Amino acid sequence: MNFYLSGLYFLPLLIGGILLIAPAAISRIIVILSSILLSALALYVFIHVNEPLYFTVPHYVNEIVAGADILMLLYFGWVAIQKKSWLVGVMSIVQLAGLLYLLKNLPAGESMPFMVDKLSTFMFLLINIISGIIAIFTLRYIEEENCSAFRKKFFLALLFFFIGAMNLVVSADNLEYFFLFFELTTLASFLFIGFRKDEVSVKNALTALWMNQVGGIAILAAIFFIAYNGYGEITFSNLLAHANAEGILLPLALLSIAALIKGAQLPFSKWLLGAMVAPTPVSALLHSSTMVKIAPFIILRLSPALKDTPVAMVIIGLTGFVFIASAISALSQDNFKRILAHSTIALLALMIMMGAVGTPVTVVASLVLVLFHGISKCMLFLNAGVLERVFHLKQSSDMDRLGESGPFTALVMTIGFMSLLLPPFGAFIGKWLSIETLGALATDKRLLGALVIVAVAGGGAVLSLLYFKVMGLLINRSGEKDHIKFEKTGPYYAGTIYILLGLVLATMAGLPLLLTYYFAPVASATIGQPVPVLTEGWNLFIGTMRIPLLPMLIAFFLLPVTVVVAMFIRFRQVDRAKEYMCGEKVNYAFSSFYFSTDRAIPYFSAAGILFFIALIMVALI
Amino acid sequence: MNEYLIPVLLIVLAPVIGGLVYGFDRIVKARMQRRIGPPLLQPFYDFLKLADKRQMMVHSTHAFLGIMHFVSLWFALAVLLLGGDLILVIFLHLLSTSLLILAGYSTRSVFSHLGANRMAISVLAYEPVLIIIAVSIFMINGSFDTSVVFASDQPLLYKMPLAFIALLLILPIKLKKSPFDVAEAHQEITGGVEIEYSGLFFEAVYTAKWLDYIFCYTLVFLFAGSNILLGIGLVVFTFFYLAALDNSTARVNYKQMLRFSLGVAFTLAFINLLINSLI
Repeated sequence: MNFYLSGLYFLPLLIGGILLIAPAAISRIIVILSSILLSALALYVFIHVNEPLYFTVPHYVNEIVAGADILMLLYFGWVAIQKKSWLVGVMSIVQLAGLLYLLKNLPAGESMPFMVDKLSTFMFLLINIISGIIAIFTLRYIEEENCSAFRKKFFLALLFFFIGAMNLVVSADNLEYFFLFFELTTLASFLFIGFRKDEVSVKNALTALWMNQVGGIAILAAIFFIAYNGYGEITFSNLLAHANAEGILLPLALLSIAALIKGAQLPFSKWLLGAMVAPTPVSALLHSSTMVKIAPFIILRLSPALKDTPVAMVIIGLTGFVFIASAISALSQDNFKRILAHSTIALLALMIMMGAVGTPVTVVASLVLVLFHGISKCMLFLNAGVLERVFHLKQSSDMDRLGESGPFTALVMTIGFMSLLLPPFGAFIGKWLSIETLGALATDKRLLGALVIVAVAGGGAVLSLLYFKVMGLLINRSGEKDHIKFEKTGPYYAGTIYILLGLVLATMAGLPLLLTYYFAPVASATIGQPVPVLTEGWNLFIGTMRIPLLPMLIAFFLLPVTVVVAMFIRFRQVDRAKEYMCGEKVNYAFSSFYFSTDRAIPYFSAAGILFFIALIMVALI
Repeated sequence: MNEYLIPVLLIVLAPVIGGLVYGFDRIVKARMQRRIGPPLLQPFYDFLKLADKRQMMVHSTHAFLGIMHFVSLWFALAVLLLGGDLILVIFLHLLSTSLLILAGYSTRSVFSHLGANRMAISVLAYEPVLIIIAVSIFMINGSFDTSVVFASDQPLLYKMPLAFIALLLILPIKLKKSPFDVAEAHQEITGGVEIEYSGLFFEAVYTAKWLDYIFCYTLVFLFAGSNILLGIGLVVFTFFYLAALDNSTARVNYKQMLRFSLGVAFTLAFINLLINSLI
């Protein structure tokens, strides 16, 4: 098993190195083959790891990790000087001081730095499959990028380095190692956002950098308090073993803060929105499908200890608020990628919340959301890339008549949006589970439960309005354009989108099976208690919760199938009428409507800051 | 078997009953204005007339979505009457409304677009209130199933009167009655989404409105639990209230509607939820 695992860690690094020097024709083959190989490895590991697998590394790796940490922080400091960003500078100095202090004073215990359990393998599967698909998409996308040949290679190589870092981050048990890998993903984020080197990119990259560095500082502080409280080893598993120890709340709260920042929750949402200036594969990979999923990952990891603590209550309150606030903010957006970013923040909030609630059903819901959101958002973002490259569209209001010029893209995007929203697609079921279970939570924490349900329900309604607004543009066409011809976008674009479409449809069709054999084992390993999933007749039981399948099935025919059929159905022998224009002969620009919700955003941020302060306060008291 | 007889009958006959309710509604409204009004069966005469008309459409996507709006609304109603999950029912209803909104967006017609936009805002106005009412019901019954509500001998009305008032406040939005009929607004945007439908395809959208009556009155009926007399009383009261309101108010614009619904109805439902969750 160690052999396959090390494949997941070293193969991406190796491939990244090769891609830096290999000529374009060869790197194409390498990227495609390695994507398949990594996915296969992840699948193999997922099937074969059932018990948590601890493994140690040679002693000199500790020194390498420490050295890499220091090097990286020095690089951040250099960036700060070069770009004259005092925020990054301050953060780097604080981090460096903290790190050096910890390195000097921490007891060098013989701990196992790595642990691979079901949750890690679940993340492996998501990371490697999605990243592989995006890497293949990138082959074509980056060719059209306006930059030097080396930077194109660098982009691809960086993509694979990032995959390696992600695989490491979900297997780290030692928090010092975790800190390094966490910061490595921050570094990747910084380099990717600043890739285009224009003024806005550099500015947003710096924002992303310092905000995520705050997360890094939180991790260092958590390490400090674990050592200070005398829990012994600085590992996740040791932290969970001390779940009821005195003073546990502070490290938990600090680690949660790191998670919330990585997940771009308010008031730190600005970095993710700014990240949308990066090339589209980056937005797909880092900023929606994989890297931001570190946030729910950390919370799920901690959920056995977090459950029912005041810290968890604050997190639930915060994420409930973020869910509705970012849904409202999304209504004012026109840029398509920014719309997607806002909805990513909203759904991340939902995943984090479910993880923090920590009951069997909510953990399943969180996992379902992580996977389905990963696939659907990836598909939508890649389509945003196609829109940008093939149709030269960036604003959603320009997308009307896409149904005429690009019916296939319009179709796939429609399916993508429905998969985020409506029955029986996974995200919907996740959302429904959330509402139902929070109803259950409300019986002992009734007031909080009630507030959160309001946030989730209200946010859900706002999000549906948002999605339908965009879908309305995609389905729009005039009566004269009845003939449909799918556009040709080339093998890399079409191929990857077909794969993702297949994944969306397959996961959706197989959801009852996936719940039993895929999500339930992961959830029960994560929270350390059995999660029974049963199918009886037309009902699906998760724990004590019943989901009727028959209405779901019919609902499936009613919505997704209806919309797709509606796009392609043609009634013959029905006479045509022109649209009623009240006798006017003006050309009306069909676009969309917006709500000016911008004014509310400072208040949202202020409320977010209050929540963060509350998070620390409840941990201290 | 008997327990299913009434719901199934109601479901099958829903369009007919809805048509009668609509016909009666028109008479009552006319009498309030000291007119005689159309005959009771006028909606059915309209129905027959429409069926006889030459079939016209803007394009098939639009026409098909109208038909599916009717079908999905009927299905949502069926789940509601058969005692299904209330959250599911609300989402199914949202789904059917969404299909009509999509239909509005699918054409290149100005009025259709305006109507769809306004309809989307209407959804935003009433949807959160409905979900809060559902959650309040869950707080009381410990279940989202409407079958539990229908079977309970303690009417919800006495336990959540504020929620009932909130429901009364949003029903005009849902049924497109004045003062909240911005989505349809005949004098202003010539019927909104409906404008591009004609003949057989309009039939679907037209009868869907009848189904919506049954849907809304069933929601009202929920507040009476198993007390049928009280239920009928509530339905009759709501019926006259809606007719009187429709007659006596002028249309507000969509901003005012949204402000009212989220400011007043939402707050009422929310206070009700707080009370229900604290006691």
